[in-house]
Amino acid sequence: MTTKLRIGLLRLTDGAPVITAHEFGFFAEESIETELVVEPSWANIADKLAYGFIDAAVMLPPLALAAELGLRGKRQPLIIPYIVSANGNTITLTTSLVEEVKGLAARQNISTVAALAACLRARQTTLGVVHTYSTHNLLLRYFLATAGAEAERDVRLAVIPPASAVEALISGQIAGFCAGAPWAEVARRAKVGAAIATSCDIWKSAPEKAFAVSAHWANEHDAALAGAIRAMLRAAKFCDDPKNASYVAALLSRRRYLDVDAHVILANLPGGSAGGAKCGFFSGAVTFPWRSQGMWFLKETRRWGLMDKDSDARELVTRVYRPDLYRAALAPLGEPVPIGDWKREGAHDQEWSLEAAPAAIAMPPDSFCDGAIFDPSEVWGGTEAAKMGALHK
Amino acid sequence: MLRRSRDYETVGAMPLKILLVDKDTNRAEALSGKLTASGFAEVQRVPGGDGITKALETAKPDLIIVDMALPDRDVLEDIRAMSAAHPVVMFAGGDDPSFAEEAIAAGVCSYNLSGVALEDLKPIMASAVALFQRYRRVEVELAATKALLEERRLIERAKAILMRGRKMTEPEAYRFLQKKAMNENRKLREIAAEFVRHHEEQQA
Repeated sequence: MTTKLRIGLLRLTDGAPVITAHEFGFFAEESIETELVVEPSWANIADKLAYGFIDAAVMLPPLALAAELGLRGKRQPLIIPYIVSANGNTITLTTSLVEEVKGLAARQNISTVAALAACLRARQTTLGVVHTYSTHNLLLRYFLATAGAEAERDVRLAVIPPASAVEALISGQIAGFCAGAPWAEVARRAKVGAAIATSCDIWKSAPEKAFAVSAHWANEHDAALAGAIRAMLRAAKFCDDPKNASYVAALLSRRRYLDVDAHVILANLPGGSAGGAKCGFFSGAVTFPWRSQGMWFLKETRRWGLMDKDSDARELVTRVYRPDLYRAALAPLGEPVPIGDWKREGAHDQEWSLEAAPAAIAMPPDSFCDGAIFDPSEVWGGTEAAKMGALHK
Repeated sequence: MLRRSRDYETVGAMPLKILLVDKDTNRAEALSGKLTASGFAEVQRVPGGDGITKALETAKPDLIIVDMALPDRDVLEDIRAMSAAHPVVMFAGGDDPSFAEEAIAAGVCSYNLSGVALEDLKPIMASAVALFQRYRRVEVELAATKALLEERRLIERAKAILMRGRKMTEPEAYRFLQKKAMNENRKLREIAAEFVRHHEEQQA
């Protein structure tokens, strides 16, 4: 018997594994009949999840947490049993501002971010982010804060749909924006903007989109959910191989998906030309739903007053992030899966080896731009941390 | 849960200020005409894009009605800074989920900015939903008509190829295609399309 699964997504490169799994019939082979619903806004994704028009979505993790708490519209219990992508975000500025920032950094021998902060402070500037509850908003704020610049005080942040960002750069409504692929590349090719930093310059191997599923659907269809995780992992391996990039780009460029030139999409796929802004889909345990990463998003969302501190952080993250379901789905394949659910984020500036079963996983660096190490137990206090068992060091 | 504002009692007398965000100018015109005629609404229209922020500042609306096909909903959800009240997605009231579902299916959504009671907004949203449904129906019918025309075109073309290539009469050609479709348990349209494609490949 086949199970129907309706998945919402936006016109973004990081939806590649889900689109590929759908088009290649990987979901079908797991007896799942998928319908992909491409939406123009994150608000549509959240509302359609809340009212049962879709069962799952390729979603911003902070938005999934906000939807779970009912912070924007009807509350919808969601779970995250799988991460779709890592990296892929770019901070793009107008070409003249990029020159100014780089010039200042060179003259005064200061970091790019320090020069950027100085330029933003010097005049009233607006930068665009894709949503209030987005990884982009949190990463950009984190980056600027390392140089002492704060949103509202030193720079205005406005929400700009990425597809409108190029136009907004031209009209002068914004001086730059932080968005996912392919939109920075679109701006670069239109010669209106250039990259000043990528998500890798802020947090190496930063988790990006999550596979968020309605908790109700997940409870009713546990076997289908496990099948969907296996189908996406299979597609993720395909998408992560640079050899397949041109194929994936052609698939994504179709009118019903991104409707953007395949060459533009290619830049941000593995092996592409976009440097630190390339999406990651598989290697380095990208797909594992680390509870510590959920906790980092929660901590940063609270830091900027976008979420109040009433809710029990650990309880929320444990309820939403479901590494147990990930393991159960992949165990039959003999796929190496991490042993712990939490790790210290940002602890590695070199490649490292992650404890996993049946075999260790080779991991890329995961450091933050300011060298900070995020120990999730800090959020709920030291004594509580002991109960969580060993953290990956 | 209904949200009642201080000036709830005056709402009946005072027109509500509505910002209508819709890129379909015909539909926007029809809806704003309908709402203005009812006398309880003062409507300003904006097609979406970077005009929205300015329109919000100048119009200071009580209610925003927005086309869900636009990417601008994410912009509208970030308006806390501009408005004293926290914007409430229409559906967040939660007392009538089927109404919210109907609105989503029609492709329209609203934001309540001034905390006006939900029951006062409902007739306004009902008008919007009805109008969006009507436009959607026209779109669906148009797409169906286009598909039908394309099917006819393909079948005509396939018949012509058969009549020329295999010296069949028109009814013979049609029966040939129909029989093939029945034998293979496929749609006549698919058979015709495949036939035409094969023929064109051979010609090339």
